Amino acid sequence: MVKRMLESIIIIGTIVGLIYAIIALGFTLVYGISGIVNLTHGVFIVVGAYLYGVLSDYLLKINIFPPESPYLIPIIAMFLSFIFTAAIGSIFYRLTLHQILGDEISILIASICSCLIFQKLIYITLGTSQAFAYRISPLAYGKIRIINTDVLTGQALAGTISLITFIALSIFISKTKVGRAMKALSQDLEASMLMGISTEKLYMLTTAISAGLGSLGGILYTSTVTFGVASYMWMSGLAVSFTVVVLGGLGSVKGSLLGGLILGLAEISAMTILPGAGVLQSSIPFIVIILVLIIRPKGLFGKRIEME
Amino acid sequence: MQTVPIARYFRKIYTNIATHIYDRPPRTLAFLIIIMLSILPYSGMDLIKLEILISANLIAILAASWDLLVGRTGQISLGHALFFGLGAYTTALFIKYLGWPFWITIPISVIVGAGVALTIGIPCLRLKGPYLALVTMAFPLALQGFLYYYRDIFGGETGIGLPKIFPGLRFFDRIVANYYLSLALLVLSSIIIYKIATSKTGIIFISILDDEIGAKACAINTTKYKLMSLAISGLFGSLAGAFYGHIVSGSANPRLFVDTTALMPMEFSLIPIIAAVLGGVGTIYGPIVGVYIYQILYRYILRDVITFNIFGYIVTVDRHMQLFIFISFIVLLIVKWPRGVARAIVEKLEDLEEPRELEEILKEKTESKQM
Amino acid sequence: MYVLEVKNLTKSFGGLVAVNNVSFQVDEGEIVGIIGPNGAGKTTLFNLITGFLKPDFGKVLLKGEDITGLPPYKIANKGLVRTFQIVRPFRHLPTIANVLVSLQSYRGRRRIEWIKTPERKAMEMLEDVGLSDMALEPAENLSHGDLKRLEIARAMALEPEIVLLDEPFGGLNPVETEYMVKSIQRMHLDGHTMVIVEHKLHALMKLVKRVLVMHNGEIIAEGTPKEIAKNKKVIEVYLGKVV
Repeated sequence: MVKRMLESIIIIGTIVGLIYAIIALGFTLVYGISGIVNLTHGVFIVVGAYLYGVLSDYLLKINIFPPESPYLIPIIAMFLSFIFTAAIGSIFYRLTLHQILGDEISILIASICSCLIFQKLIYITLGTSQAFAYRISPLAYGKIRIINTDVLTGQALAGTISLITFIALSIFISKTKVGRAMKALSQDLEASMLMGISTEKLYMLTTAISAGLGSLGGILYTSTVTFGVASYMWMSGLAVSFTVVVLGGLGSVKGSLLGGLILGLAEISAMTILPGAGVLQSSIPFIVIILVLIIRPKGLFGKRIEME
Repeated sequence: MQTVPIARYFRKIYTNIATHIYDRPPRTLAFLIIIMLSILPYSGMDLIKLEILISANLIAILAASWDLLVGRTGQISLGHALFFGLGAYTTALFIKYLGWPFWITIPISVIVGAGVALTIGIPCLRLKGPYLALVTMAFPLALQGFLYYYRDIFGGETGIGLPKIFPGLRFFDRIVANYYLSLALLVLSSIIIYKIATSKTGIIFISILDDEIGAKACAINTTKYKLMSLAISGLFGSLAGAFYGHIVSGSANPRLFVDTTALMPMEFSLIPIIAAVLGGVGTIYGPIVGVYIYQILYRYILRDVITFNIFGYIVTVDRHMQLFIFISFIVLLIVKWPRGVARAIVEKLEDLEEPRELEEILKEKTESKQM
Repeated sequence: MYVLEVKNLTKSFGGLVAVNNVSFQVDEGEIVGIIGPNGAGKTTLFNLITGFLKPDFGKVLLKGEDITGLPPYKIANKGLVRTFQIVRPFRHLPTIANVLVSLQSYRGRRRIEWIKTPERKAMEMLEDVGLSDMALEPAENLSHGDLKRLEIARAMALEPEIVLLDEPFGGLNPVETEYMVKSIQRMHLDGHTMVIVEHKLHALMKLVKRVLVMHNGEIIAEGTPKEIAKNKKVIEVYLGKVV
């Protein structure tokens, strides 16, 4: 009995953790490469989910695709949402962050205000009822069985997509010219500038990619876990990103993966073991952050700072 | 159309705090404003407007406390609502479970506020910039979960009811009494906070803001002073929250921390920030003015649906569009006066006065020491 | 008893040894210079002595008391004071307030004679470095040369047992350099003990009686300025191998 529970916690926790890892990936990428704490990341997550929802509903309605290939719509919608959100991300960067690079407080204030503005924009474009809660059709239907646990197909699929994305990103960073330039920026800004790497363009690209990744995370989460998106979910999206990043270290891709897994496992364990902890669920990331930061001020994998 | 570099102004805001350490505060202006505010209830103002001002006064205390911490010491707080709600809930819990009267429980809230600030400060002040910001944002949100989980103790969504402060008075008189109470609290709190900010301790706060390493090299125990500023901030924040619970909201409820469904989520955490940016970060009086601007715009001007007639076309503006316009308007104000509306006014007044001579300042300091 | 005694101080970052087993002593009233090519570890050494970095190994003794590993503000309170290579003024504060910060420390408040107020004492420090007419000016309006002098005023306001000056001549034009030389000479005549790290050798050599040369984290030579100038190893380190 206990073994069963443990198995299901591990499997579902891992899958949820992978999804959380993707959600946080963009956030940590932006910080690692440009040093910006982009609090607007939560908005990209939500916007991506909304775009996906609207696009897939629209594609369904106009009925272009033959019913034999039900996966075409989600794939196309995901792709388009990624691109659009990335575009929004780069515009956002150019308009705001670019002007205030280096001034941390202003970045924080500006990104929080942008969150509010974006939230209102969603209300305006979609109208109140839809903005409040928008139904998102499941990514896939049915259940599959993994090691004695029933898992929703959609969630298993989401976990796989997440893993593939991580691998793809690692390859991108290590093998492509652009990717290696980004890695160089994260390690030594001055040296990179001296080598002729254009920081502005790269920062914008990084923000765009991170927005796209955020949208992917939002799509995976809202189409396999909550089956809906609400405009205020940017706060929980941010919460998850923070926690993952605190656990895994700001700026580390591997850390994001690790942090996501830890958070996912912790949350699923808490929900399974404690009774009636449903309401507590949204607070769990915050509680984790507070506990971790109190014990280890630099997160689990940060180095202890001595001077400055 | 040229893209407006909105964010460029955000940079100017922060790197340009006004210290006013050796400036004589514009006392005449302040007196005039206080007198004007005192007469208000008798100038035929209706109750709704008075209530808006009561809220404004208390939230202004919260904003001033935030400014001392963030604008003067440089410790970022994105979750100041923590103290606000803490103040309300502390007084509520003592009243409900111990039956003590409010004039004991409110001072207790104040002390608890300072105490909690110190307790979370000790581990949290070690955190570097972004981590500190994240953790402060997390606190009110984490607390919310607890409030809902322990529904029986904390009362869930409705929270815990709080008794009125002037139970004997009739409705209209009570509102007027509450107004004067909130005004008195605001005036007292802002004077105290301003005096601290311009004192030698305030000088040390600014040194921590500017260069903490330099301050350490000047033999300053920066941790002690950071904790001090946090404790003062928590003290006044809880004071504001406790009175807000009694006078305005009538209860200590979770929405004082975070309200996800409201028009402005994280309201009490974000208002101090917006107010400070509007009025002038670090000035202490700036956020107070900023809260007034914000409250008056938000509560008085925004209605459910505004319909009006332009050339025969009926234009409907619903709440969300209004809010969007409202936020854009605020952004406009910030762009026009990047260093703060209130600060611009004060600096204009200072330009009219003659700059004080060094000798005069030195003499004043010497005399005040010998007294 | 030496004012400052450094024993076997060692610090590495990752695989790189920045300061390697450095030891030296400073007597009361001495001015000691530390020179060496860039990257020799001079600033790291300062950071280790003043508490901004914790050493992996070794001890720092101030007047016989072990101050190794104490936080920087405690070390400053005990009388070991430093200035910074890149000036760190409190930009938003007026010049006089910059000095007041030092005077508000524990050490500062204990030592102000009861007749004077901190403001008067701060003005004295500003007069000593020639900044008295900038007293109410926000520090961010000061020129680089003025800021260097402000660094010194802030440090001297603590009435230190020993001052560590990190490149006090950095970025100064010839006039400012001369002024700084005179200031440091005056401080020496007043009996202050100093250790100066500096690149501008001609300015430094005028002031110090003893020089330590650092290279790759170690002290490779020690002596009077004349001796150092003739030392083959030192010349090699600065100019490359002598053919």
